[in-house]
Amino acid sequence: MRTYILKRIFEIVPTILMITFVVFVMMRSVPGDPVVSLLGDAYTEEDAIKAREAYGLNKPIVVQYFIWLGKLVQGDWGTSILSGRPVLQDVMIRLPVTLELIVLSMGVALLIAIPAAIIGAIRQNTWSDYTATTIAMVGVSIPEFFIGVLFLLIFSIGMGGLLPSSGWMYLPGTCPTMVCGASIWGNVQHVLMPAFALGVGRAALLTRLLRASMLEVIRTEYVTTARAKGLAERPVVLKHALKNALIPTVTVMGLQVGFLIGGAIVVETLFAMPGLGTFGIDAIIARDYQQVQGFALITAFAFVVINLLVDLTYTFLDPRIRYA
Amino acid sequence: MRSTRLLLGLAVSLAVAIVVADVAPASAQKRGGTLRVAYGNEILGLDFHTLPGYEMLWVASNVGCGLISLTPDGKFVPDAAESWQASPDGLLYTFKLRKDVLFHDGTKLDAAAVKFTIDRHLDPATRSSIRSFLGAVHSAEVLDPYTVQIRLKYPYAFMLHMLAQYRTGLLLYSPTAWQKYSVEERKAGKPEAVVGCGPFRLVEWVKGAQLVMDRFDKYFEPGVPSLDRVIIRTIKDPVTQMAAFKNGEIDFIADFSADHVDTLRAQSPRAQIMTGKETTPMVAMMKVTVPADGKPLSTNRAPHAIFNDIRVRKAVGCYGIDRKEIVKIAFKGQATPWVGIIPPGTVDTVDVTAMCPYDPPKAKALLAEAGYGPQKPLTFELMTNTEKSVFNVIATVIKEQMARLGVTANIRLVDKPSWMLTATQDGPFDMYVEDLASLLVVDQNVYLSVSTAGWNSARHTDTKVDDFYARYAREMDPVKRKAIAKELQEYSVDKLYWNTISGSPFYQIAQPWMKGYVYQAEFKVRYHRVWLDK
Repeated sequence: MRTYILKRIFEIVPTILMITFVVFVMMRSVPGDPVVSLLGDAYTEEDAIKAREAYGLNKPIVVQYFIWLGKLVQGDWGTSILSGRPVLQDVMIRLPVTLELIVLSMGVALLIAIPAAIIGAIRQNTWSDYTATTIAMVGVSIPEFFIGVLFLLIFSIGMGGLLPSSGWMYLPGTCPTMVCGASIWGNVQHVLMPAFALGVGRAALLTRLLRASMLEVIRTEYVTTARAKGLAERPVVLKHALKNALIPTVTVMGLQVGFLIGGAIVVETLFAMPGLGTFGIDAIIARDYQQVQGFALITAFAFVVINLLVDLTYTFLDPRIRYA
Repeated sequence: MRSTRLLLGLAVSLAVAIVVADVAPASAQKRGGTLRVAYGNEILGLDFHTLPGYEMLWVASNVGCGLISLTPDGKFVPDAAESWQASPDGLLYTFKLRKDVLFHDGTKLDAAAVKFTIDRHLDPATRSSIRSFLGAVHSAEVLDPYTVQIRLKYPYAFMLHMLAQYRTGLLLYSPTAWQKYSVEERKAGKPEAVVGCGPFRLVEWVKGAQLVMDRFDKYFEPGVPSLDRVIIRTIKDPVTQMAAFKNGEIDFIADFSADHVDTLRAQSPRAQIMTGKETTPMVAMMKVTVPADGKPLSTNRAPHAIFNDIRVRKAVGCYGIDRKEIVKIAFKGQATPWVGIIPPGTVDTVDVTAMCPYDPPKAKALLAEAGYGPQKPLTFELMTNTEKSVFNVIATVIKEQMARLGVTANIRLVDKPSWMLTATQDGPFDMYVEDLASLLVVDQNVYLSVSTAGWNSARHTDTKVDDFYARYAREMDPVKRKAIAKELQEYSVDKLYWNTISGSPFYQIAQPWMKGYVYQAEFKVRYHRVWLDK
């Protein structure tokens, strides 16, 4: 097991390097650069040339990449050309917000998906099954921004500001700013709509997947054996069937992290949240290369680590799985 | 001072339709409280002298102070300078400074600080964003600790306008803070580095989260500002802005989408909705020349394959575009159809829209004369960008209007940096839709439209345009100046190097309890007289 984990951790390094290199090259291949944004309407060609020299943007892309990498291994994630702010500092300020959003939206997804899938599977072809699958289909079909706007119209505008429409309230002790309100209740109020907006689509997908797995598992011989031994239906479903049916679901959950990060960009923009999603999209729009690299680095890292954790979860769900 | 007065007298008032100066007696004003502000875009950085973006500029107008200010009705009023005088030949401007002005770091604002700031702006290494407007400035001299004199190379009619309000205007920096901190620290918004002499001092800026400014208790104007604190955060989506506004989560929206004004009005009937005559032009710019050698920005120019022909420019940009229809569809009627190079709310503007009536038969005739018709249909690319949804709507309406002429306009949608790169670096385009910079006076348009300007995205090579601007800026007689402005605007429509569609409306929204705010279009967003009646 330890060897396996070490091997996987070792594999993370080239994966991240590859991702960051691809992002590095792609960003410099699209039209526009940070100097155009930096100079704005005071743009002159002479100033642009000087600025590109000053920030090393006139060097070959590979050279620029290795300069960035060289600094990275020393813990320097670079500085935003536009705002002059250290990238690592900004990433660390924004990471907790997105982390909380993603964890809670996955929680929302599971909270909806597990009961819906179980009901759908054990009451197959009944009204409750049809209802669960129909809702799942609708959920998959509606994009996050639309659900978000609906929530805004209902819970924020329609219900007299029941939930705050935008911004963020930090958990006590996590406030990164000097002027900041922090409370658990405030945090819950702020995260509810975004988490649901992001989670509902994932819930729908997981419901369909888990229901299919459950249908397969509850027809297996060991489940029939468990029932024949006189076990009550609840432990049969929850302890024996669900645990095994979760394996493909957990795999998909790991892969869904990428979609959640993508969805976080939309949801954070809509709800004006100070998270990594808005950080990433602002950086891309402004062609702030250093910030884009920081965003790519942290999201790539999160993605591979979460998928490593997912792989390790298999051993808990199915003790027959062993990693050499 | 005499010429200043002349300028004052003739400075046409800023286009201000609604001034929310719910002016209450000083005793009725409530002191204290926090103003919560929403911006529609992120602040890029906080080095006021070099960075672009209105959002930064609006912070600068609260943290910084200048020598003079301009009121919405076009009057110059003292800021850090208590009085000023121009020499009869217009070459010397002498400013007497107040003696009680402090920077936020506690250092005194004196004549040396003013000279220091001007010298920094003039130094190309600073890459000041107002350097292009300082062409007339020769030098600044300290006459005594509180008197500074600016010497010009030639008379410049808009010296005071420039000092007050071209972009940030001349914002005075603390020399101590400047020397102690780097430009990167100022850009990053380190409070110790961003040191002005305005009514608010920067407390913190956490990009993506918030910007906080507190009242500067030693501000030179007694009792000002009333507010304890201003918190600015970015809410990009207009629906979210409306929700936050309706719920009372924010007090003020600094830049609200024109498309959503009616909805907001219905949702929040007590909201103060502020707007004025447009000071920003919405353009459908046509490219006139291309690099003959294929190298962008080359001085060796060749005619653009389509729009170098004035007949085609006139057919498409003048008679072929129904501006009223565009305004009706894209702005729900809340903008002014316009053709002139200078938007309706800018000083010395002239309505020359009648020079370009919507006339499809005439447009078709001109196209036929230029060789286009059913046998040789005209097709061009219409570039627009994703910054504002209204650009796409306008592009779509133009495409439809072109189809009526038998012309095909293929829309190319790019993001803002791609458009900026194309516009500034002589990239390939036939026509683009965009709203350009806000203009206080015609003179300010120099950096966008003279033949040598970086932002001359049409890449016209007509030096007669340059002459108009030079004559206009140096003409000290306001009547003659107005005549030159008129001539320029008519010439511009005649040549269509610059093709305006309409004004680009600007809206600000305030809660009913926000008092004392004065609307100044995009130019300045100042909270120094704001107080909260709640």
